Amino acid sequence: MKLLEMNNVRKGFGKTEVLKNISLSVEQGEVVSIIGPSGSGKSTLLRCATMLEKMDSGELIYFDKKAAWNDKNGNCVYAKKNELKEIQGYYSLVFQNFNLFPHFTVLKNLTHAPIVVQKRKKSEVELECRELLRRMGLQDKEDAYPSQLSGGQQQRVSIARALAMKPKILFFDEPTSALDPELTGEILSVIKELAREQMTMVIVTHEINFARDVSNRVIFMENGYIVEEGSPIQLINNPKSQRIREFLRKLD
Amino acid sequence: MNIRTCGKYANKFLLLLLVICLSFTLVSCNQDSEESEVRTQFVVGFDASFPPYGYRDDNGEYVGFDLDLAQEVCDRQGWELIKQPIEWDAKDMELSSGTIDCIWNGFTMSEDRLDDYTWSEPYVDNSQVFVVEKEAGIKSFDDLAGKNVAVQTASSALEALNSDECKELTASFKSLEEIPDYNTAFMNLDAGSVDAIAMDIGVANYQIESRGDKYIILEQPIITEKYGIAFLKGNEELKDQVQNILYDMLNDGTLEKIADKWGLSDNLIFGQATDETTQTDNETTQVDLWSMIVQLASGMLETIKIFAITLVFTLPLGLIVSFGRMSRFKIIKYITQFYIAVMRGTPLMLQLLVVYFGPYYLFGISLSREYRFIAVIIGFVLNYAAYFAEIYRSGIESMPVGQYEAARILGYNRAQTFIRIIFPQVIKRVLPSITNEIITLVKDTSLAFSIAYVELFSLAKAIAAAQTTMIPFVVAGIFYFVFNFLVATVMNKVEKKLNYYEIK
Repeated sequence: MKLLEMNNVRKGFGKTEVLKNISLSVEQGEVVSIIGPSGSGKSTLLRCATMLEKMDSGELIYFDKKAAWNDKNGNCVYAKKNELKEIQGYYSLVFQNFNLFPHFTVLKNLTHAPIVVQKRKKSEVELECRELLRRMGLQDKEDAYPSQLSGGQQQRVSIARALAMKPKILFFDEPTSALDPELTGEILSVIKELAREQMTMVIVTHEINFARDVSNRVIFMENGYIVEEGSPIQLINNPKSQRIREFLRKLD
Repeated sequence: MNIRTCGKYANKFLLLLLVICLSFTLVSCNQDSEESEVRTQFVVGFDASFPPYGYRDDNGEYVGFDLDLAQEVCDRQGWELIKQPIEWDAKDMELSSGTIDCIWNGFTMSEDRLDDYTWSEPYVDNSQVFVVEKEAGIKSFDDLAGKNVAVQTASSALEALNSDECKELTASFKSLEEIPDYNTAFMNLDAGSVDAIAMDIGVANYQIESRGDKYIILEQPIITEKYGIAFLKGNEELKDQVQNILYDMLNDGTLEKIADKWGLSDNLIFGQATDETTQTDNETTQVDLWSMIVQLASGMLETIKIFAITLVFTLPLGLIVSFGRMSRFKIIKYITQFYIAVMRGTPLMLQLLVVYFGPYYLFGISLSREYRFIAVIIGFVLNYAAYFAEIYRSGIESMPVGQYEAARILGYNRAQTFIRIIFPQVIKRVLPSITNEIITLVKDTSLAFSIAYVELFSLAKAIAAAQTTMIPFVVAGIFYFVFNFLVATVMNKVEKKLNYYEIK
């Protein structure tokens, strides 16, 4: 079953076109990695998918529910507010720099949105969130404030915060870029663990080895186009495009 | 997505608030705009630092020759006397806007003023004289050539010195300095920055009486003049009522008795002058420090009242104004910008005067007595809201966009995002600036004196003038300092309390 479908997405900032006719679909249980040089449009694609940016044209569909489509003139129209609100509940996003709420404790960062936004029972939410923290190895940090944690711990809290909303699909925007190299491992193993549990994920990353290990499919983007996509073995070990070979060589 | 989103709700609030503010102002002005059929009150306007005619004694009471006369008139007429201290420069505005019924305060019936008011018959003959230090060797007008002379702003002495008869004399001075009150003038005389002070003879006698005999009055008067009671031009009825009673008082000797009490029997000329010369039993007493402190404490209460009420209204209003300032709607944004520019670009004192006298001069609404306090609050709230708005704006705009994005992804709506996520962090960011502004507000409350609202500073001024001492200013300074120290301590505590987390 298709969880996410993006068709012919275009997005520009001023005169620069960042996404040039991109289409992408994600099946339930799939882990998709998006790689490519900086400025290739990876993050913008993710921000369009999570509606942090509005597309100029194209279609955005979650679970057969249309969030956005083109009108007769080819301009993008978004669904009504209450429909968008429902669609927003299907996904969550883990930011590069965490964006935790500094005035909330770790536990409150997790529980606040489920209680206030989803109007779920406090006791039930707290039980679930404590379990999430335990899985992240942060069971003793629930009363700490984000500023008291290391970068890796903060990113684990922000993953837990995203999971607390019970999303069907989880987006990661370069989840390890803001971390010291020795801290990236702990985040990557958390994501691998989620992959084993069949969590549907779309990950923008620079960690090629990680992308190869964890993904079902890898997408290489450059200059606003998808240059190539395929299984990790095919795309990373044996790329068709000269461009990808160059990119991978530079990373080594 | 962007920072300005929170402005959307605020726009509605802003309009609502404007409407509320306006209606509030108008209603409060309208309250007792009509003259009641039967007079029950008699409001006397006077300059509270003009002994012996009207001033604050060391018990905090407004007393003086004129006020005693007014009290007697009211007693006989069955009116309630209301002693309304006024800022002397604003006396005409007070009278024509109906906040006072008359000016009864050693008010000189000069040529210039004769047509401006409906006058009673003159009741005191007073001359303008020079007071100099005994040791200074100044004996006559000729000795004043090349000297510095002080005179009270807008006083009869100043008018006399500027008149045609005195032109040459005045031209011979090195300088003629206008000083707001006699206390300051004497401080200047002591300090040597002026050599002579021009003033009413009654005032001169009183001042020398209480300050000791190191001063003398030059024998030659600048001008001789008469005092009368000034009513609003055309108000013959009230004038006649008051004047008739004064005649009764003259006939039964009460007038003389009161004049005697204040050492003014020499000057009394109402009806027929009296020759009797009695030694004064002047009421000036030495400063009782404790009762002064008690009085100033009551002024401090007024100051705290202004401070607290202003703060209660300003903190939320400032936030609403900051929304207007950040609004996506250009019109609202520009109006708010203009409002902030005016509030920050003009003196608060001027704003207070406009708020207080504006309703009368712009719309012809006569002002109720209660409006004075309301005007103080409106003036302060409008002014401070502009400053707070800019503080809030700086805090809101400094919030990282990631906080908004995280809230959006988690499904918070705009109001929830602002109230739960953004605002608590903004408070922490702007708290030091807020503290700064609050402390300034404590001191700015003293500007309420400009529309003659009695608070700590105006009280200190009045007491200082009546008792010819600097001590009230020192005490007032200590009051301000202690209160600000408390405010700073409290704010510090709040800041510490918010230190449980850090903002990147």
